[in-house]
Amino acid sequence: MKKIVPVIVLALLFAIALFNDSALELSPTWSWVVTILLGLAMVVVLILSMTGKMIERRIVFLFVGISLVLPFFMNFTMPLNVSPVVQTLYDALNKLPKGSKVLASFDYDPPSAPELQPMADAFVKWAFRNDIKVIIVGLWPQGPLQANLSVEAAMADPEIAAKNPKYGVDYVNLGFQTGNEFVIQGMGTSFRAKFPTDLYNTPYDSIPLMRGVENFSNIDFVMNLSSGYPGTVEWVQIAVDRFGVPVGAGNTAVQAPQVYPYVESGQLTGLLGGMSGAAEFEKATGEAGQANTFLLSQSFAHLVVVGFILIGNVALFIGQNRRRAPLV
Amino acid sequence: MTAKLYTTITAITITALSLLLLLIAAPHALLAQSDAVAESPDSATTAVAQVPDLGPILITVEDFPSDAGEALIIGWEDPGYVSLPDFIEYRVTRYTDDSDNGMVIGTSVLNPEVIDGEASHSIAHSYTVAAVFPDHEVISARSEPAMAEIQWVAADKYAVIIIGIFVCAAVIFFIETAKRGKTLFLRRIAGLEAIDEAVGRATEMGRPILFVAGIQDMDDVQTLAGLTILGRVARTVAQYDSKINMPCRASLVMTAGREVIKEAYNVAGRPDAYSDDMVHYVTDEQFGFVAATNGIMVREKPATCFYLGAFFAESLILAETGNSIEAIQIAGTAMPAQLPFFVAACDYTLIGEELFAASAYLSEEPRQLGSLKGQDVGKALAMIAIVVGGISVTLAQAWDIGLFQVIESALRTAFNIQLPVR
Amino acid sequence: MQFDIGIWIAALLTLGIISFLYKDNVIYKVSEAIFVGVSAGFWFISLFWDNIYRKFWVGVFPDPTSGKEPQYILFGGVLLGVLMLSRLFGNKAGWISRWPLAFIVGATAGLKMITFLASNAVAQINATVGNFVAAVAAPTFAGLVTASTVTIGTFCGLVYFFFSKEHKGWFGGLAQVGTWVLMITFGASFGYTVMSRMSLLLGRIDFLLSDWLHLIK
Repeated sequence: MKKIVPVIVLALLFAIALFNDSALELSPTWSWVVTILLGLAMVVVLILSMTGKMIERRIVFLFVGISLVLPFFMNFTMPLNVSPVVQTLYDALNKLPKGSKVLASFDYDPPSAPELQPMADAFVKWAFRNDIKVIIVGLWPQGPLQANLSVEAAMADPEIAAKNPKYGVDYVNLGFQTGNEFVIQGMGTSFRAKFPTDLYNTPYDSIPLMRGVENFSNIDFVMNLSSGYPGTVEWVQIAVDRFGVPVGAGNTAVQAPQVYPYVESGQLTGLLGGMSGAAEFEKATGEAGQANTFLLSQSFAHLVVVGFILIGNVALFIGQNRRRAPLV
Repeated sequence: MTAKLYTTITAITITALSLLLLLIAAPHALLAQSDAVAESPDSATTAVAQVPDLGPILITVEDFPSDAGEALIIGWEDPGYVSLPDFIEYRVTRYTDDSDNGMVIGTSVLNPEVIDGEASHSIAHSYTVAAVFPDHEVISARSEPAMAEIQWVAADKYAVIIIGIFVCAAVIFFIETAKRGKTLFLRRIAGLEAIDEAVGRATEMGRPILFVAGIQDMDDVQTLAGLTILGRVARTVAQYDSKINMPCRASLVMTAGREVIKEAYNVAGRPDAYSDDMVHYVTDEQFGFVAATNGIMVREKPATCFYLGAFFAESLILAETGNSIEAIQIAGTAMPAQLPFFVAACDYTLIGEELFAASAYLSEEPRQLGSLKGQDVGKALAMIAIVVGGISVTLAQAWDIGLFQVIESALRTAFNIQLPVR
Repeated sequence: MQFDIGIWIAALLTLGIISFLYKDNVIYKVSEAIFVGVSAGFWFISLFWDNIYRKFWVGVFPDPTSGKEPQYILFGGVLLGVLMLSRLFGNKAGWISRWPLAFIVGATAGLKMITFLASNAVAQINATVGNFVAAVAAPTFAGLVTASTVTIGTFCGLVYFFFSKEHKGWFGGLAQVGTWVLMITFGASFGYTVMSRMSLLLGRIDFLLSDWLHLIK
């Protein structure tokens, strides 16, 4: 019996994958019903644990899984406030006049894309819409390829497609360069030395956008999307503290707490932390995208996690009291 | 004695010299420096009808501070062209002789300065700045010829160099003091005291002890700290006649681990009880190692688990498995991202520098003890700066007390503090 | 019927990895092995082309039409790199690999020392006091509370990591506050990590639901 269940589930999934082409959407009423059912199920778990029955960890996984999947079909809008750190970044970007050159460093790879790609998408769309020139580089090998995905996503927007941003004039992808923070250090003297050609082997001097761009002094802002080393810390330490160029960053949530002190000290001009930072940035720039869709799922899952933390603690305390009881 | 004094002086001199060299080699923040090399005379504009004449673009050419004579800063005052609707950019052109053959060296929209990073300290350059519009340009007059200058010291970073030399000197001083046999005081560290208790518990329960020295190789200082503590753990294990199991991810760590445990058994007077099988290599593959270690935990059910060294994503996996077998767990790492997991899942955690402190405390090795004490001096300096700075700022602002204003401005100069722009 | 082989492989591998939540199984192991193999291969190729070809080969033998001078200094780096390989010959010649290591350690220590001292020590002390300056200059309740929290938190955190004095009396009290600050930081960090991991899972679920199952637009 136990072995048949996974087979049936898989067969069902295969059938859907092969033959389904209609999207599933729950009406607001049904969304509420499902939410309440999920809440009730958690109450049942709470009662079970209060009566001393240990629930299996797989049940927790199941709850988290359900709470992540269901909101994709739901019809709720999440209230969302733009936090000061995100606002700071947006304000700094918004102050840039048309034609300003922004260096965008994509320092992440596909595993971190769910968090950072929505930020990248919103940033590139915003830049194209506001006639900001984007110079893309990457300190991680896959970074510039992730940037291309964002450019593609932006071009799919009819308004931006009508503007038709030109490669080499409105944006350029200089590709990846090895050397970690030494690349940033070298760019302080000469971009050309670090990126002699772009991603497609066009020589630096043949790229119209790069004419007149020697070093950080010709750059108005640096936008860094980072998921580790080398990343935001290195950009702050070298680009900000040595060369004085303003840097704003988007980080994975894991890394964000380590980067916050730089925002507090004013070394970093704003920070987008994880999915919530991405969603807030989408709201600030008006480029609603994936992060806003994901945020509902994430909030549901967080509620479930908080619920289980409470359940665990209640069960622990009641369990302790029960163990002590016979002694009295 | 004299030899040691010479060593100390040489070490301080070398440190100071290397710091100086590093500072010179590094180009620096765009802090304005007052040594203006040249200022342009009134500029003549060549404006075309559609662009309103907002007056001349006045340009200044300054040497880039604290560099090896490779750069000039070309700055200008924007008479208001930036806010005109058709404005494209400011374009800076360099001329190396009197001819009109200039080379565009940079453009800027918002920032009214451009750095010429390829200027020479032997040939004079002059510059023009043009405000560029779709069909025409407003060009400034040519600046006076100027040359880049070489600076030997990064003047704006003297706080860093002074603090750097001070901390390095303190480290060297304490290392030398420790080498001379003076006892350096280190405070007790809670996690260390739990070691005996944890080993004792394992002995009582008749179950083994698991020791993981991180997943990095011997070149990571955290691994070394872990192995130092292993010496102490192994000695207690030998005394109590308990059992220890140490899976390794790197072959060098395995070899070193065996040496450490063998030595500890010798010191405890039980060389016969030692066996090479106590330490064994598993695999270099990160999650392969984790899977194997988890397997050992689940099968052997050690009563106590030590995780001391550099850990990455496996920290929570190990600690959770340890929790599920109800082992006492003592962890220590300097990986900031992994500390929360150890703190949440283990009984004792050596947080960050405590790992090194514990290692220094147990090894009594002069270099470890001395560095730790020297760093304490650095921390004391930071604490004093924060307290004195905070108090003097408050008093100076709130009650206008002259003395505190003096202290405040002195600190601000020392630490290069500007009021944060918000 | 819709069938895109790439999407199917990605979907099946995703399910294979997620199946570990149920229990360790052979499909998980296969998926993991494929992942490890593919990433090792990717890194090998990437490092080869970026370092050995783009950096070294093109640097020393540049395209004659580009007018670039050959950079013979790169041979220095190659020499150090080759010395690293002496580890392959065991204890006899293995010690030579310490030279390039010494170079790396020395250069990195020099660079990092200045960067960390400037960015993480001086600039952070600067900011801790600077925030206080700003808060006192334009006092608001929230501003003062934030600035005091940061200042006191930093100070007490430093006290906790001060090893030259026993944590007793008032000093112990400050260290205790430092411990709380650390624990709150760890809690925040833990929370952020949960958020991050959820986001990664969401990325995969989104892929499965939209690209594979076509259940969402």
